[in-house]
Amino acid sequence: MSREILSVKGLNAAYGEAKVLFDIDMSVNTGQIVACVGRNGAGKTTLLKSIAGFLKPTSGSVTADNTLLSGMKSYDVAKFGVKYIPQDKKVFFDLTVRENLELGSYATKDYNWDQVIAYFPKLRLLMERKAGHLSGGERQMLMIGRAILGRPKVLLIDEPTEGLAPGIVAQLKSTFREISLKTSLLIVEQNLPLVCAIADKVYAVKDGRIVAELGDKESISVAACERYL
Amino acid sequence: MNALRWWWGILLTFALLGIARVFLPLPFMNEVVIFSIYAMGCNFLIGRVGYISFGQPAYLAFGAYACAFYLFYFGTNPYVGILVGVLGGLIVSLLIGPLFVRLRSDYFAMVNLALAVIVFYLTQKVLVGITHGDNGLWFLTRISSTPLLDLTIPSHFFIFSLLLAALVWAFYKYLDDSIYGACCLATKINENKLQFLGYHNFSIRLLAFVIANSTTALAGAMYAVYLGFVSPEMASPSRAADPVIVTILGGVGTLFGPIVGAIAYTGMKDVISKLIGNWELFIGFLLVFIMLVADKGIWGSLAPVLEKWLFRRKSPDSRGHD
Amino acid sequence: MITPQLLISGVIFGLSIGSIYFLLAIGLSLCFGLMRIISLDQLLYYSIGANITYSVNLLSGNMWWGVLAGMAVAALASFAVERVIFLRIYARDPTFSMITSFGILIGGIGIIKYFWGVVPRPVEVPTLLQVSIFGTEVPVYRLIVIAIAAVVYIGIWLFLHRTIVGKAIRAAIEDVEHVEGLGINVSRLFTLTFIIAGALSGLAGGLHAPLIMVDPTMGLEMLAFVFMVVIIGGLGSIKGTLVSALVIGQVVSLGSIIYAPMAQMAPFVIMLLVLLIKPTGLYGSPVFKR
Repeated sequence: MSREILSVKGLNAAYGEAKVLFDIDMSVNTGQIVACVGRNGAGKTTLLKSIAGFLKPTSGSVTADNTLLSGMKSYDVAKFGVKYIPQDKKVFFDLTVRENLELGSYATKDYNWDQVIAYFPKLRLLMERKAGHLSGGERQMLMIGRAILGRPKVLLIDEPTEGLAPGIVAQLKSTFREISLKTSLLIVEQNLPLVCAIADKVYAVKDGRIVAELGDKESISVAACERYL
Repeated sequence: MNALRWWWGILLTFALLGIARVFLPLPFMNEVVIFSIYAMGCNFLIGRVGYISFGQPAYLAFGAYACAFYLFYFGTNPYVGILVGVLGGLIVSLLIGPLFVRLRSDYFAMVNLALAVIVFYLTQKVLVGITHGDNGLWFLTRISSTPLLDLTIPSHFFIFSLLLAALVWAFYKYLDDSIYGACCLATKINENKLQFLGYHNFSIRLLAFVIANSTTALAGAMYAVYLGFVSPEMASPSRAADPVIVTILGGVGTLFGPIVGAIAYTGMKDVISKLIGNWELFIGFLLVFIMLVADKGIWGSLAPVLEKWLFRRKSPDSRGHD
Repeated sequence: MITPQLLISGVIFGLSIGSIYFLLAIGLSLCFGLMRIISLDQLLYYSIGANITYSVNLLSGNMWWGVLAGMAVAALASFAVERVIFLRIYARDPTFSMITSFGILIGGIGIIKYFWGVVPRPVEVPTLLQVSIFGTEVPVYRLIVIAIAAVVYIGIWLFLHRTIVGKAIRAAIEDVEHVEGLGINVSRLFTLTFIIAGALSGLAGGLHAPLIMVDPTMGLEMLAFVFMVVIIGGLGSIKGTLVSALVIGQVVSLGSIIYAPMAQMAPFVIMLLVLLIKPTGLYGSPVFKR
């Protein structure tokens, strides 16, 4: 049975004086893909960063698996199993693919790379290549592959398909489904058709607030999402 | 209203300095006033342009040596000597400025410090023929007396330097309020956006560099005339941070900062050197302490309190928030 | 006249000076690359290394114990400074750290003056042996210094490319936030790097001690040269630091054979020329994150 794995309650966040997030409540269950949609500047990235501990919330709580995350250091949050994958697709350019994966293993003590190769077979062929020489799609694969080491509880992925070729997006779509069987996903995404195809729940974010929650498969549609943007 | 206030500030400050002269020894007061001019250039660079220069002693030495060369080899008039000193600093900063202001702020700080050390070597070892190396140039007796303000008399020199400091101070106040001052501040905060507005970062920074370093050279020339002597010690790397310390001590970017900082620094130096003799230990830890705990400096922390106290009878919105 | 003998001994001299520059500058460069701080206090650890070497040599009669002790004390001092001071200023502008570390350097010089006084003191060279290279007598000690620097360079390279902690440091030089995002405690990497840098600076001081006079302000005298090495090589680049340390070493050594004041002036001119062509140094990266 699916149970709640990540829960955000009354989260407020600010950059200095400027308040960005207002009383965010949200939850992610095991096996779920949850999407956040909203215009640029709505506060989606800030939301993910606050959950991952890169930004200290001014108030409110983030709990994962009955453990309070707010107040933890970002690397402890990641170690605990809530990992943030930023939008910039910045793998470590100067390191090889193998070394990038080694770092993922070093942090989590999980050296089972077969699971990564199972999702992204292509990475096997690229092992000795410098990550700086990968294509955008390959970088995204490496970023996600590196993050699923250690079987995280939740992956927070910021704009995973931005700037990628349609073929790769389709591939990622099926991979996300597979990953979600073991690791819940919280995705910030602009690509509404993709969101509607994979998401079990959608939160619409506007001006730092959650303005709508589409909680079941039937109610999620591009038109429904667009209404709140 | 606002204009009136800073004029009052300047008058009050320099009147206080004038009165202090009665109670405090003259050499101390002269030191303070020259030092505050020295720090004003540095304060402008740090506070307005965001460039921290550890090479100010180099520009101080340029001014001092230019003035000293004139007074030692050519003329006797101290006023001309000071003018020559400022011109020397101006020319040098015009020559090296175009290269330096292209640098990122961290490289700028390092390259300037290297410059100070090189100037030190230059005056100490390389150009021994004309600088007389560590012996320095002595020309106190060559300086001629002038009517009205005779710079060979310390008390006259004090009046002269006080007037000059007030002038420099007013000049920086004017710069701060001008469009140019706003541009400087803008290059510090976001250089790209300013270029979109049609301003040229390079020329703004170059001008700031030249102005600040000419001010420093002025302080150097004043030292030369006041002491009647220059030596490589002026550009010594161990004194590289002096103006930076004074600026930070007083409060970065504030108008009164350099004066307050110079008083505090010179005062402490006198007292500490007599008490424990280990000046480096003290100033090092003071600097770290200021950076970690009170990076607003003395004036920066004091000003809001003073302002509150002075203007408490007025309603807060009549002052205008900026 | 420049004879082959003079040239060979000049080159060896330059290599040994370049080795000292390298050992000192590598710490500054690594600290900038990883933590984005300009750590002038490395020159304090250099002075500490030299002064401890002097004292231990005086007590035990063996300079190598002194060098080891100097390294250890320098590492300890850098550890303390990192934990107490730098920890609080990592998030701020690099020039901020430069002012703070200048304070540490000056304050530390005060402490050294308190313990050792201001008089310059010589340290005996541990071996007076000479070997003949192409018919030129060369002091063995200088060769040992060069060898140690070479070993350190190889060691650092292996550490950064063959160990997982080294790889994490290389990754963090690119992007600190991403390394944290993987679950790695970056502040431990910072501390480790700072201690390594401090120990290497201490080593540089200890090795340099027999070649010059030991006094409290010796760090300030090295300051300009180390700066020029780091600036020419490019802040944050290990390879650049090595190349420019060797070049500056030769310029100082061979330059002084031709015309003594050249030793001080030529590196500065080279630095200005390099900056004129590339404002971030030979191997420095133009992008500046954080």
